Amino acid sequence: MRMPEPDAGIIARRSDIIAGLRKIVPGEGVIVDEDELRVYECDGLSAYRQLPLIVVLPETTAQVSAILSFCLAEGVKIVPRGAGTSLAGGTLPLADGVTVGLGKFNRILDIDYENRVVVAQSGVTNLGISDAVRHRGFYYAPDPSSQIACSIGGNVSTNSGGVHSLKYGLTTNNLLGLEMVLINGEVVHLGGKHLDSEGYDLLGLMTGSEGLLGIITEVTVRILQKPECARALLIGFSSNESAGDCVAAIIGAGIIPGGMEMMDKPAIHAAEDFVHAGYPRDVEALLIVEADGPEAEVEHLIERIEAIAKESGAVNVRISRDEEERLKFWAGRKAAFPAIGRISPDYYCMDGTIPRNKLAQVLKRIGALSKEYGLGVANVFHAGDGNLHPLILYDANKPGELEAVEEMGAKILRLCVEVGGVLTGEHGVGIEKRDLMDTMFTEDDLKQQQRVKCAFDDGHLLNPGKVYPTLHRCAELGRVHVHRGQFRFPDLPRF
Amino acid sequence: MAVEAARVNDDLIEALREIVGPRLSTSAAVCEQHGRDESYHTPHPPDVVVFAESTDEVAGIVKACARRQVPVIPFGAGTSLEGHVAALHGGVCIDLGAMDQVVAVNPEDMDATVQAGVTRAQLNTYLRDTGLFFPIDPGAEASIGGMTATRASGTNAVRYGTMRENVLALIVVLADGRVIRTSRRARKSSAGYDLTRLFVGSEGTLGVITEITLRLYGIPEAISAAVCAFPTVADAVNTVILTIQSGVPVARIELLDKRQMEAVNTYSDLEYAAAPTLFFEFHGTERAVAEQAETVQAIAADLGGENFAWATRPEDRDKLWKARHDALYASLALRPGCRGWVTDVCVPISRLAECITETTADLEKSPLIATIVGHVGDGNFHVVLLVDPDQAEEIAEAERFNERLVMRALAMDGTCTGEHGIGHGKMDFLIAEHGEAVGVMRAIKQALDPDNIMNPGKIVRV
Ligand SMILES: Cc1cc2nc3c(=O)[nH]c(=O)nc-3n(C[C@H](O)[C@H](O)[C@H](O)COP(=O)(O)OP(=O)(O)OC[C@H]3O[C@@H](n4cnc5c(N)ncnc54)[C@H](O)[C@@H]3O)c2cc1C
Ligand SMILES: Cc1cc2nc3c(=O)[nH]c(=O)nc-3n(C[C@H](O)[C@H](O)[C@H](O)COP(=O)(O)OP(=O)(O)OC[C@H]3O[C@@H](n4cnc5c(N)ncnc54)[C@H](O)[C@@H]3O)c2cc1C
Repeated sequence: MRMPEPDAGIIARRSDIIAGLRKIVPGEGVIVDEDELRVYECDGLSAYRQLPLIVVLPETTAQVSAILSFCLAEGVKIVPRGAGTSLAGGTLPLADGVTVGLGKFNRILDIDYENRVVVAQSGVTNLGISDAVRHRGFYYAPDPSSQIACSIGGNVSTNSGGVHSLKYGLTTNNLLGLEMVLINGEVVHLGGKHLDSEGYDLLGLMTGSEGLLGIITEVTVRILQKPECARALLIGFSSNESAGDCVAAIIGAGIIPGGMEMMDKPAIHAAEDFVHAGYPRDVEALLIVEADGPEAEVEHLIERIEAIAKESGAVNVRISRDEEERLKFWAGRKAAFPAIGRISPDYYCMDGTIPRNKLAQVLKRIGALSKEYGLGVANVFHAGDGNLHPLILYDANKPGELEAVEEMGAKILRLCVEVGGVLTGEHGVGIEKRDLMDTMFTEDDLKQQQRVKCAFDDGHLLNPGKVYPTLHRCAELGRVHVHRGQFRFPDLPRF
Repeated sequence: MAVEAARVNDDLIEALREIVGPRLSTSAAVCEQHGRDESYHTPHPPDVVVFAESTDEVAGIVKACARRQVPVIPFGAGTSLEGHVAALHGGVCIDLGAMDQVVAVNPEDMDATVQAGVTRAQLNTYLRDTGLFFPIDPGAEASIGGMTATRASGTNAVRYGTMRENVLALIVVLADGRVIRTSRRARKSSAGYDLTRLFVGSEGTLGVITEITLRLYGIPEAISAAVCAFPTVADAVNTVILTIQSGVPVARIELLDKRQMEAVNTYSDLEYAAAPTLFFEFHGTERAVAEQAETVQAIAADLGGENFAWATRPEDRDKLWKARHDALYASLALRPGCRGWVTDVCVPISRLAECITETTADLEKSPLIATIVGHVGDGNFHVVLLVDPDQAEEIAEAERFNERLVMRALAMDGTCTGEHGIGHGKMDFLIAEHGEAVGVMRAIKQALDPDNIMNPGKIVRV
């Protein structure tokens, strides 16, 4: 994994930069000791590590603004960081860059039940929002499995989803407004409590921008009333194909379940061993399907889903009898990652998304790749959305194994693109999928995306080295900034 | 940057003819028709109109224009309301109406890919036998390309969202004629900047959209619609607010004021009560629909709403919604020869009653003739001012009224346009509302269209 060459000049000026930052954020908010910096050396993609030059933990939007103007003036790179749970290496530090952590942006600013809106600082955790409104029967719908830890600002930056996104949408469908700071320190407000906004959809553009366009300081999201009732079905199949058919048949019948998740045999076994959720061990594939809404409707839907499941060849159907059992059905799925962690020293989580009708075909090919590389694969996925999370099992201590995993992972993602899908459904590109972007996008597509970057940050100071395999001088992209025959950034790094 | 745009010359016409052959017109009538929309705005005809039939042709046309720095104005069905298609600096209008092919429908994945000129009704007719439909329904026979470009919405956005939620991917011809694809058919993606979102609502200022991949929905098991009259507009609006706040997933909830109902009755030959009225529609399973309807009926009854008139048969529902969709034309018929000035504010739902009540009071004090309709479930409503564009004083009065309305909405944390977009009619409001963000929008425009040839003079001034 190549990153931009660190700028020795910046590293040499470290103590000046520290002094400058301390003027903005006094006291312990500027972290410089190696031991303390170590905490920030990686995120959820722990295969890659790097100590940051400095970490700064601002507490106010005004401080973020001052930090960014200062860094722009000094030509210092910035890596925004929420909770650091990224699975794509989005917050991997730079040796010559300042990591700006939003951990102290942890206040909920406004709860407005009338409009069903919460305004929170960007470092508030995803679950923190639901917790704040639960006593009134409300919740925030997108529920990544990392929700206890991940920040709402990080969710916006990666457009996170969860098991309920099929019905309730991703972050982008539940986001109403943002406060953000541009690289020049300007504070911008986007959207608000009303439905839609006009002009270019900057809110949509910021969603999933992985810290490359600005730092998000405040987030306005929609909250929903908890459905009156929810019940889940646990459906076992003797083949992945019939499970895939069942997913298609449910959707085809016009039913949008609250959640529809699929696990394959290795994932079922790992989860069952870990949390004893009551999953059948003798099936090849398991679907968890949830119906939610008013009681009468849920009952009716459960009946229909059960009938469809049987028609699709289900060998095993269980329906949750009470809330406790429903949560148990989900417990296995939600703990799937740590469960896999128990059976394999390391695993690598992929995130391709494919059109739903290619599911069975792609699973078969993943099976073949698993044999070819001699690496185990456990599959869990948001089946309703076609979002796959194959987990490749490996041992990082065995020489060459990580490289084999990377190669096999790349093949899986290429396969997703080949059948009309995308490289990442919800985890983002980061450094992990950066060098695969050209399998999904043409040179022209990528250049156009980078022109957008130029409108926000033409010096590439915000999170450089992430998402795009090469940095283009903005001048080359058609926005000519040549001043007296000189490019503004003559030595822009390539990697 | 503010260089005067180049004009169309014979050399360019020749180049365009090489691409589209006879599908090109410089006739005054054709140009005039392509420089006006359905609003009160003064028409600005382009110098030439070309009728494109493929992405390649569009790319060729844009390249030819880019080389000469001549403005390009994409044109769908011309039903927009804020001077969107006005050729303010002359130039070449690309009419996409002939790009009317449905490219693919994938029933299993519930998506469809269409060319930009397909209209929403054409698409739904095409889908008739699949059990699927595309919900977004602006009250005009708009093109899908135009709807994408204006981020259109409709009567059922409260349930299905707007174009923003329902476009999965686009093929776009950029300002220099290169062609890009913004995403794929996958239902979700977090790969790279979301250019799809950026182009949705860009009003032709960043590129020409030639192909759109859309999300489709299953036709619900049960649908029922109802009409209910109220003593006052405030009672009707409060019913809406309570319905939304109680979490009933209504599919449509539309307000028509007394004068609008009179207009609709006359225009569509109906006999509804001449009173503030809500139109509802519920989607779901039989049981869910029954339950939703019961809840809403109870809320309405508390606020004096009576006599729910139900329409469960498809033909009765079609009649009801046709009347709603024709509301603008019905209003225009109240004053023959007038044009409609359609306001478009949108406020948080908790402020809706206040905003509509104050606006109604303002209207009563003013000499203007107007009707009110709205997608009230979203907090969005339109005052249709019936103006005579030749009466300067009337236009000035409408301007003042609209400005008061927009400022009222902004003060309530709302927006100046819920769905019609900015065009060149609302550029100043965009600045009032967004402040610094307009600078970012301008920077994006400059980065993606450095020569400012794509529909210049719309959304942001460069
Ligand atoms: C066990 C586990 C399970 C997971 N399950 C899911 C899942 O089900 N669904 C899912 O979508 N993801 C999942 N993830 C991935 C991850 O939790 C999400 O991507 C999450 O949104 C990241 O949030 P964060 O606060 O940790 O962001 P970080 O990891 O800190 O940052 C992520 C990216 O966003 C940028 N960023 C963060 N905050 C800001 C800000 N305030 N302003 C600008 N840029 C910012 C960073 O630069 C980086 O590029 C999982 C991760 C783990 C470890
Ligand atoms: C009676 C009536 C009712 C209406 N009701 C609603 C409503 O309920 N909701 C709503 O949202 N709107 C409504 N509108 C407004 C209008 O119908 C919408 O804005 C519609 O989306 C415009 O589509 P069009 O095909 O007519 O686009 P046009 O008017 O042709 O163009 C609109 C804008 O989009 C650009 N454009 C068009 N096609 C493309 C393309 N392929 N690529 C790039 N740019 C393009 C044009 O340059 C222009 O800036 C209504 C209008 C009328 C007359």
